[in-house]
Amino acid sequence: MKPGTRLKSAVCDTEVMVIRTAGRTIECGGAPMAEAKPAEAGTLSPDHSNGTLMGKRYVDADNTYELLCVKPGKGSLSVDGVALVTKDAKPLPASD
Amino acid sequence: MPTDAKTAERGPPIPLWRWADRQLRELATVSGSDRIAALDGLTIVGERGSVRDFEIRGRRSAGVGGSYLNPTRDGSWFALTIMREEDRAYLPALFGKEGMEHADQDRIAAEIALNDSGELLAKGRALGLPVACADEVPASPAVEVLSRGSRRDREPNHRPLVVDMSAIWAGPLCGHLLWLAGAEVVKVESRKRPDMIRSSDPQTFEVVNQGKDCIAVDLTNESERNRLVELIRRADIVLEASRPRALRQLGVDANLIVQQVPGLVWLSITGHGATGEPANWVGVGNDCAVAGGLSRALADATGEIGYVGDALADPLTGITAALEGWRAYKTGNAVRIGFSMSAIAARALSEERAYDGPALDAELRAWGAAVGKLFPLVPRRSGLASVHDLGADTDKWLGQTHPC
Repeated sequence: MKPGTRLKSAVCDTEVMVIRTAGRTIECGGAPMAEAKPAEAGTLSPDHSNGTLMGKRYVDADNTYELLCVKPGKGSLSVDGVALVTKDAKPLPASD
Repeated sequence: MPTDAKTAERGPPIPLWRWADRQLRELATVSGSDRIAALDGLTIVGERGSVRDFEIRGRRSAGVGGSYLNPTRDGSWFALTIMREEDRAYLPALFGKEGMEHADQDRIAAEIALNDSGELLAKGRALGLPVACADEVPASPAVEVLSRGSRRDREPNHRPLVVDMSAIWAGPLCGHLLWLAGAEVVKVESRKRPDMIRSSDPQTFEVVNQGKDCIAVDLTNESERNRLVELIRRADIVLEASRPRALRQLGVDANLIVQQVPGLVWLSITGHGATGEPANWVGVGNDCAVAGGLSRALADATGEIGYVGDALADPLTGITAALEGWRAYKTGNAVRIGFSMSAIAARALSEERAYDGPALDAELRAWGAAVGKLFPLVPRRSGLASVHDLGADTDKWLGQTHPC
């Protein structure tokens, strides 16, 4: 999958942009994400329902996966079942 | 860095300096300040480039790192600024290609040429990169009332207290002008993340922060954050240049505080606006000047595109925020005002064109012909007052905050 690809949740409103990936399955709400939404929404897994926050970056422990949330939803993000966590905000001034 | 700054040829005045000058005259009138009356627009827009001996470089912005203008597939120009090395991690996503995090400027230019400006702009902004297009229309009004509150009566000789939470140039310049106009200014910095130009550009730091009390807080510590909010509630003017989302995530609701504190003037400086989708976009002085149409105006006047001045949206915004902030303070009514740097650049350009279009075009032509020369020399304004160390005045304003 190319970096910059937009993935949609199969179970909620979440959409992410892929910053870094390594080939395993990216999921939201416990279900695999895809470039197109399924015709019928799946069921949100209670184990993956902490929600996503607009503009937050989500990473795995090794920093091999990074997803940017471009649309928030009820599901939370995982890779092969392992939950991703938000990356701490880095310093960036709003003006130069 | 040029090898012999003393003998190198100097460029012409920075375009729009007369617009800046007229705003300063207005600020001198409304504040009655002799120190503001003694300023001139050329010095304020040019003092950073002058003291740093910046070179005029056409499609590359002045100063270290910088911003580059490159042509897009659809015939426009895209400005990309890489402010932090870690932002390179987002280049693969911006261009949809692996390995781009290691790309040099030639490789980046080649990728930009394969894409349309609108796509790059949308993706870059979603990624939180400071990007701009030479042909975009600013997304927000230049100056916008975001909320209102009630009135406070003050003694005629009351000295306003300004809490300045901004960093780098635009916001601190606003705080500096308010200080010159007679205000007491408390500069707030994060203890973990001080104003980056304290160390990276001390010459500019000392000009725009001299005379300010300096306090340092840990914004992740609830007790310190509460004490900062108490200080804000005692202030007459609050100044910040953070993305609205960052403030909200800290639990600071600017609109609510303005509704609760009579007479409080809250100035919010953003790259492209404080509400809606543009509130999430990042903007710095050079790319906001591009988004405001300054580089397109240079291309129209000369046939060659390039950056106009040095991060010109910054000083234009700092001056505008000081003028509007002082005016609002004098009314006594609480108000939160948003300032969009890209829209202020566009407004300055259109007002200057209406004021004296031929003079503006002549200045743009002179600027375009000065590639390779150094920025014009202007007087150095340091040494008016002492420059305080990070956190030097924390106890004075917040009481004891340091853990035992």
